[in-house]
Amino acid sequence: MTRRVPILRQNGILIASIQEELSDGDILALQSRILSDVVSINAKAVVIDVSALDVLDSFGTRTLTEIASSVELRGARTIIVGIQPEVAMAMVLLGLDFRNIATAFDLDHAFDLLRAA
Amino acid sequence: MNSASIQTIRSDGDIVVARQTGRKIAEDVGFSRADQALIATAISELARNIVVYANSGEMEISPVETVSRSGVRVTAQDYGPGILDIKAALADGFSTGGSLGLGLPGTRRIVDEFDIQSVPGEGVTVTIVKWIGR
Amino acid sequence: MPQVISSSVTAEPSVDEAALYFDISQADKELVSHLESTSDEMGDILIESFYAHIMGHEEAAQHFRDESHLERVKRGQKRYFADLITAPLDDAYIEDRRRIGQIHERARVSPTLYIGAYSYYLTRLGDHVRQTMKDDPEQAFAIAFALMKLAHFDMALALETFVSAREDTIQAREREISELPTPVLKLQDGLLLIPVVGTLDSFRARALTLQLLEGIREHRARAVVLDITGVAAVDSAVANHLIQSMAAARLMGAQSVLTGLSAEVAQSLVKVGVTGEALNTAGDLQSGIVLATKLMHG
Ligand SMILES: Nc1ncnc2c1ncn2[C@@H]1O[C@H](COP(=O)(O)OP(=O)(O)O)[C@@H](O)[C@H]1O
Ligand SMILES: [Mg+2]
Repeated sequence: MTRRVPILRQNGILIASIQEELSDGDILALQSRILSDVVSINAKAVVIDVSALDVLDSFGTRTLTEIASSVELRGARTIIVGIQPEVAMAMVLLGLDFRNIATAFDLDHAFDLLRAA
Repeated sequence: MNSASIQTIRSDGDIVVARQTGRKIAEDVGFSRADQALIATAISELARNIVVYANSGEMEISPVETVSRSGVRVTAQDYGPGILDIKAALADGFSTGGSLGLGLPGTRRIVDEFDIQSVPGEGVTVTIVKWIGR
Repeated sequence: MPQVISSSVTAEPSVDEAALYFDISQADKELVSHLESTSDEMGDILIESFYAHIMGHEEAAQHFRDESHLERVKRGQKRYFADLITAPLDDAYIEDRRRIGQIHERARVSPTLYIGAYSYYLTRLGDHVRQTMKDDPEQAFAIAFALMKLAHFDMALALETFVSAREDTIQAREREISELPTPVLKLQDGLLLIPVVGTLDSFRARALTLQLLEGIREHRARAVVLDITGVAAVDSAVANHLIQSMAAARLMGAQSVLTGLSAEVAQSLVKVGVTGEALNTAGDLQSGIVLATKLMHG
């Protein structure tokens, strides 16, 4: 079964809200959709809401990092939003990190960060 | 009821099911939310290694109990190519799959007991145990 | 199937260990039981002279509240002595010896006093054996050695118990301290201050991590000042915990600033590989709050 993540467009910002746990395939599908959308609307920022995820393992972390790097090559920013406390701790203990990628507590926070930049 | 679960792992959908099962069992055993996340993450890593490197295998997730403590045990077993250099595979950043190389070493860090056996050409068996409150 | 690494269970001194480490056999018990006929009388003499000896010392004497307390202890001592000679070496014996160790710990009798007393007691006992068995020095010698083994085993049991009782006391106290909740203070919308005081051990560091992350979730915090002015030193495990907590906070979207590092704490952090760039730090609380506010607004 595939889970399609809704992607909203708002003033040149793409907002991908993950609603439920994703398989590796779902994450890869999300990756290519975000990248093609970034190009097609010439987005200036991508916000990915991961608050529904209760696991972010090495595959998820790597793929999100790849998305952020590609988005950056297009001159746009990526903000990852809503990592849960347990998920954050598990990531750190596993040795995972989102180096050089902005993180925000919630969408409000993400928009504040984008405004400030 | 705490009961063991044995699952076939051969697709990325199976990885999702395995970690959801693991989380549920961990919750039933009485693990904190933080520990449930650790167990689900470890399962996710081990299951993915099966899919990526061995195509298919099995995973058994079961509650364990001794006189003084309870926990969860996970056994991930496959009959794939095996690991040539276990020591290297356990080092942070080592990967033959072009990925992060944190699955095995990271899993080892977040569990209490970690055992890996591999015979090249015959497969890999990883067994982990996490106890409550350690 | 691979073997699961089995967990080790802490063993308590057992009858088997008595045999193994102290080389105590049934033969020893039999040798000592030769003293049974005279043990009552011997016990009386020994114990009277023993208490006459220790009551002359203030440290020892302070353990006895009054005459009747002293009499009660003496009676217990006589039974203890009788058991050394006659009781079978079984689990009940060990249990009894451990109980004695606990009593000594609770009464705060120091190991020096305890072993010193035992030694006094043993030499007198050896003397007595030698005197009463003048015609069979060989046998007297064997009995004295058997007594010595049993006495050493007794001491080991009592001390083992003494140490573990002491550890329990210390742990209970540490747990009490570490369970003191660390306050999470809201300085302004989105900005938290967590003042950490007291000792920061691994146990408490873990609790602190949860408080920090839960605090961020609850208050929707965007920045946190972790003030550790009240923490004298941390070991590398705790330093690692701190770093990991701050990294996890960052993943949740909150910037954290560490303030009030003592020289020792700074050193521990450097030892686990932390650089100033990787971690936001500030000299004092005031500048920490300024920095956190700045980071909070991007
Ligand atoms: N089940 C397996 N069968 C064969 N090789 C494996 C298996 N699991 C892990 N490995 C080997 O160990 C390496 C490290 O694994 P891991 O730590 O999970 O990192 P990654 O999967 O990112 O490479 C892999 O790159 C692979 O070479
Ligand atoms: Mg892997």
